[in-house]
Amino acid sequence: MNEPPKEPIKYVDSKVYLPYHYVAGDYKARYLRALKDKRILGSKCSQTGKVFVPPLMNSPESFAPCTELVEVPDRGVVTTFCIVNIPVIGRNIELPYVAASVALDGVAISIFALIQECKPEEVRMGMRVEAVWKPDGERHGDHDDIQYFRPTGEPDAPRESYINRL
Amino acid sequence: MKRPVAVVGVGQTHHTTRRADVSIAGLVREAVDAALRDAGLEHKDIDAVVIGKAPDMLEGVAQPEQYLAGAVGAHMKPLLRVHTAGSVGASTALTAVTHVASGLYDRVLTVAFEKQSEGNAMWALSPNMPFTPPLVAGAGGFFAPYCRAYISKTKCPPHIGPMVAANARDNATRNEYAHLREPMTVDDVMNSPMLWDPIRFGETCPSSDGAIALVIANEATAKKGPRKPAWIKSGYSYAEAMWVPGRDQVSPRAGQVCSKAVYDAAGITDPWNQIDVAEIYVPFAWFEPMWLENLGFCGVGEGWKIVDRGEQKFGAHLPINPSGGVLCTNPIGASGMIRLGEAALQVMGRAGAHQVEGAKTALGHAYGGGAQYFAMWLVSSEQ
Amino acid sequence: MNLRNVAVVGFAQLPVVARDEHRISTEMLYPVVRQALADCGVQRDDIDYQIAGSVDYMDGRPFGFVAALDVMGSWPPRQDLHLEMDGSFCAYYAWLRMQAGDCNTALVVGHGKTSEGEPDRVMNLQLDPYYQAAIGLDPTSTAALQASAYMARTGASDADLAAVAARNRAAGARNPENQLRDATSAAELQKTPWKVEPLRAGYLPPVGETATCLILAAEGKAEKLCDRPAWIQGVDHRTEMQTIGARDLSRSASTKLAAEKALAMADVASAREVDLVELFASSPAEELIVCDALGLDAKASQPVINPSGGALCANPIMSTGLIRLGEVFRQLSGRAGARAVPNARRAIAHATQGHCLQHNLLWVLGSERRWS
Repeated sequence: MNEPPKEPIKYVDSKVYLPYHYVAGDYKARYLRALKDKRILGSKCSQTGKVFVPPLMNSPESFAPCTELVEVPDRGVVTTFCIVNIPVIGRNIELPYVAASVALDGVAISIFALIQECKPEEVRMGMRVEAVWKPDGERHGDHDDIQYFRPTGEPDAPRESYINRL
Repeated sequence: MKRPVAVVGVGQTHHTTRRADVSIAGLVREAVDAALRDAGLEHKDIDAVVIGKAPDMLEGVAQPEQYLAGAVGAHMKPLLRVHTAGSVGASTALTAVTHVASGLYDRVLTVAFEKQSEGNAMWALSPNMPFTPPLVAGAGGFFAPYCRAYISKTKCPPHIGPMVAANARDNATRNEYAHLREPMTVDDVMNSPMLWDPIRFGETCPSSDGAIALVIANEATAKKGPRKPAWIKSGYSYAEAMWVPGRDQVSPRAGQVCSKAVYDAAGITDPWNQIDVAEIYVPFAWFEPMWLENLGFCGVGEGWKIVDRGEQKFGAHLPINPSGGVLCTNPIGASGMIRLGEAALQVMGRAGAHQVEGAKTALGHAYGGGAQYFAMWLVSSEQ
Repeated sequence: MNLRNVAVVGFAQLPVVARDEHRISTEMLYPVVRQALADCGVQRDDIDYQIAGSVDYMDGRPFGFVAALDVMGSWPPRQDLHLEMDGSFCAYYAWLRMQAGDCNTALVVGHGKTSEGEPDRVMNLQLDPYYQAAIGLDPTSTAALQASAYMARTGASDADLAAVAARNRAAGARNPENQLRDATSAAELQKTPWKVEPLRAGYLPPVGETATCLILAAEGKAEKLCDRPAWIQGVDHRTEMQTIGARDLSRSASTKLAAEKALAMADVASAREVDLVELFASSPAEELIVCDALGLDAKASQPVINPSGGALCANPIMSTGLIRLGEVFRQLSGRAGARAVPNARRAIAHATQGHCLQHNLLWVLGSERRWS
């Protein structure tokens, strides 16, 4: 090993290993635990009464605290969506899939959700959907206790009812 | 602006997929050296350095401005590092402007870069976040639903995105620094794979390695030359919360407020007619009509018609992104500064083959986050 | 040069803890922003500018800072910036904006839960990726290199380091915001095992977290927000190149230069003339090196060094520098409780970033306005 290398070194490989142990925070923790009981919790702004899912500690709009947790229905409206055709490392969802913004009834903002039990081309803005839960005994208090949302077959929601909840 | 401030030098690298011939410092240094040469200045003339870039996971170096301090000539000088997501390159330039406007600094070097070939960009941008369903597949997956909302709201026809993309490539043929320069037809784009419906592969920005540096200076330096400077008439950087009920994700309020502030401070009352060229941050083709509306160049629902009529092409009424824009070049941390730098080059008369003839007033714009951060400036050839 | 008088008019923080099990980073920040505004008697709409300091890698989230917008009152849209740096540097930039006439009031925050990741691993990644990160240097090792260099040049001993650590721990016992709140003797600290020789475990801060919010206001506004504003009389910051083998680790040239500039701006002849100094030193050797650079004798009783207990007693990393500025505010505005330095009228606050004191920021503050 006394000779210098014949070729200059061009690349340095570095594998980064960074473990993280995240805190959920009480608001998120209570939301996740309630999923085990097929309940969806939101937090309510102490000033405006608007409800946020997943629960937030404060309303970003009024800047007031959200001190009350309330239960919201597990059904709502697709406000907008896209059809995903590309895979992502570490995810097992079958392609193509529909990733949608779903505004649950009575909630001021929307959540991101998977839409299934229909062809991607059938999904539309305003489509009414309901949660499909994992069966009793298989729910653990985690976000995948809701497997996906599926169309309810009801008439589409009027545009005014969801256009401000994209 | 409290004191006149100008861009007196611009330097950028030839943006490409992978710069395997230089280290991170080497990449940054190329832009820095070019900007200083352009300004006719040396490191000893620079009072402070402001660096900007996007998530450090992209290169695997945490807070790389520390490692780069020597390479950018910041030894024994003040150095700040900005990070405002996609808009960072622009907000970094504006941070440098404040340094000079304060009167405490006469000449500030500002640099923005990304060498994202070195990490795994998709992972760096959207790793599985804790306690959140892993649904969003990259930036495109986040924005595609809002592009759909725009199309639905305005009845924008399906060829508009492809027109924007084809036009961007056409513009890039006139920019030697752009990454993607092969022409594409509207049909090529329409036939490209759909990635996140409605965004197609041909309507998506590349992943690039690149750097850009600007020298921002005071009036005395700017008047000394050697180059005709670009006077910065105004610049602002705004941000808004994400989960505000009723938030307009298609034309975010922060963008409207920011552009209004920029126009008011610069005395612009009719952007469509008073601005000669605009470099705006369009990473997915549908954002071009969306931003035309958000920036007040036209009314709601009219943006796609401007594209349809070709009024934003090179040589037309208001050329948009004559450099090819983010659709042709996207080193994420640098892109915002490339917009602002290209706007400056236009009014300096130095945009080479993509020079818009007679450009006197130009807008540079960038955005970032869930369309929450907006940073822009208005530059002019006249003080 | 006649600059604008700007003051620190408010500061709020959570007590620094090893790990807050109940709140994520933004949930720690929200109450602190509310508190700072309430203490100044203002609404969020009364503040012109906001700027945040945090580091994605510490957060374990790319774009981790974006979520902070929602807890800082970013509606309607606000003029805003984020630096990937300690909050103290954000305060500097807010001060600079005031000099440019761009704002009259500013909200400066620092946030990040260092307990979620492993700061030592993250800080290894700050190093030159080709030559130095690969060796596996962590921040304690680089600090130890620096401590060795200092001790070799000056003859400082383990006992000297222990004395500095003990002094900080004793002072820190009077500060309810600290993570470490029990005084420990130098002899006890000298019995702790080496973490990386010559730095013992007892000389180094534990990993901790908090959220901080500081409010700045320009003359004309400051007096309305605070009965005793802490006026900024001088400030400067400088970085050095990182390469550890290329600089004299036994000295902090950037601290010396920043101090010269900041003191000159403040029209103060020497750091010895101030009543107290709050330094961001993660080890006793750093404290001695910074004191050297400031021309201070770390053993003298005047000025008082780190009446808060310093970074040894609480090192939340993203906020440690901002806390130094906040502590000086508390001292000058009569809000320092049991740790108050009597008749404090002038002070220095220091912040640092990067291995081996690479980048240093010096503030000079006082009870009087600097410029008329």
